[in-house]
Amino acid sequence: MEQSSGSQYITIKGTKQGLTIFLDDQCDFNELMKGLEEKISNEQQLVNDGPKVAVKVNAGYRYIKEEQERDIAKVLSKTATIEMKELESYVMTKEEAKRIREEASITSFSSIVRSGQVLRAKGDIVLLGDINPGGTVEATGDIYVLGALKGIARAGIDGKKDAVICASIMRPKQLSISDKYYHAPERHEQQEDLLSEPLYAYYEQEKDEILFEKMKVLTYYTSRRDKKTADVK
Amino acid sequence: MGEAYVITSGKGGVGKTTTSANIGAALALQGKKVCMLDTDIGLRNLDVVMGLENRIIYDLVDVAEGRCRVQQALIKDKRFDCLHLIPAAQTKDKSAVSPEQMKEIIDSLREDYDFILIDCPAGIEQGYKNAVAGADHAIVVTTPDTAAVRDADRIVGLLEQEGITPPRLVINRVRQHLSDSGEMLDVDDVTSTLAIDLLGVIVDEDDVLKAAHKGEPIAMNPNSRASIGYRNIARRMMGESVPLMSLEEKKGFFSKMKKLFGMKA
Repeated sequence: MEQSSGSQYITIKGTKQGLTIFLDDQCDFNELMKGLEEKISNEQQLVNDGPKVAVKVNAGYRYIKEEQERDIAKVLSKTATIEMKELESYVMTKEEAKRIREEASITSFSSIVRSGQVLRAKGDIVLLGDINPGGTVEATGDIYVLGALKGIARAGIDGKKDAVICASIMRPKQLSISDKYYHAPERHEQQEDLLSEPLYAYYEQEKDEILFEKMKVLTYYTSRRDKKTADVK
Repeated sequence: MGEAYVITSGKGGVGKTTTSANIGAALALQGKKVCMLDTDIGLRNLDVVMGLENRIIYDLVDVAEGRCRVQQALIKDKRFDCLHLIPAAQTKDKSAVSPEQMKEIIDSLREDYDFILIDCPAGIEQGYKNAVAGADHAIVVTTPDTAAVRDADRIVGLLEQEGITPPRLVINRVRQHLSDSGEMLDVDDVTSTLAIDLLGVIVDEDDVLKAAHKGEPIAMNPNSRASIGYRNIARRMMGESVPLMSLEEKKGFFSKMKKLFGMKA
């Protein structure tokens, strides 16, 4: 009877997507961990046989701190087959919510970013104006310039590798997406003038460099990107 | 009440002082009362370009520190009805005056003059801040080369934060044959990058250097094209609408004019 009191907090369910471990969100965390350990020792035949399975852990309405997440993963890794793939919780901190909201936002500016000026924002930036040589625009998301990009643009500065930089006139001195850099050929070098129509710049993983593409293909890129993010969720 | 114009560029050597001297002379030739102020303390040369260096007794720092009245420091140019100069001090540095003192000096001059021209030192430090402090308007001088335009762009950005009227542009030392052949920026390239009103274009001429050597502003010579450029600038500052002088009587001149007016609109 005492045994079941601990493991009652844990429910293991199989769904189409695979195995999910549901954790009770009302009890004390220490009780929960004890319950989890009991549960996996009770279910030897489930956890110690067969191929490795990646499971989802659902914490319900409990906020799981980073070290608690590590604890849960450690307990699960004691088994031979179960590995935590993802921890899911219905709650998040205010900071995180704020960050997500900021990153999903689009801020528009209407000005010329002149030499020596830096325009920085969370999320995407839409600039109605030019970026002159020596001016810089930085965003954690995408950058859209309805004007001439003749200075520096940095997209995805917090590490978003699939951010894009678009410009009506794409003549940047330097671009960066996440930690990848592109810089224009030096002025004394021969410069091919392929950048005279609206273009977007993106990071191509396979070639490991920033490439340019005509604007009409952007929809393809962004739809593929949005699908990828949806899959992760 | 006089209006104070600061003449600035960011970069050195593009012709701020020459432009100040010649705009001043051209305005004075139009019968305006003009006072020029050299704020390049420690490296003064507006007085030299004007040929007035021998008569300096008091300077800007003396006025700021109360050793003399403003009227005592004024040097009157006898070639004009009313063109006066307050020279910078040669022995001090930029920190010898404060923006507040500059503002006070300029305000005290407003009553007696139509135009107060402030010749700004190169750079964006204390000297620039002093020069801009008392100004109502700004004239940005640049030459058609990449470095000067970059610095002018920086200055325009700084001026836009100053709470003065939008700066206007003078493009100095234009060599039409070089920009025609695409070996140098042309007037359109410069104005489209800086995106501010064009006040005037001055062609590059040997006569400008010769005149500065003689201490006689080129604007006094009615036969030079640079001089006409400066006179046109003066008239535009007085509110007249003067078309841009043709840089070279060649085909395509009208289309170029149209483009330039497109920028001005």
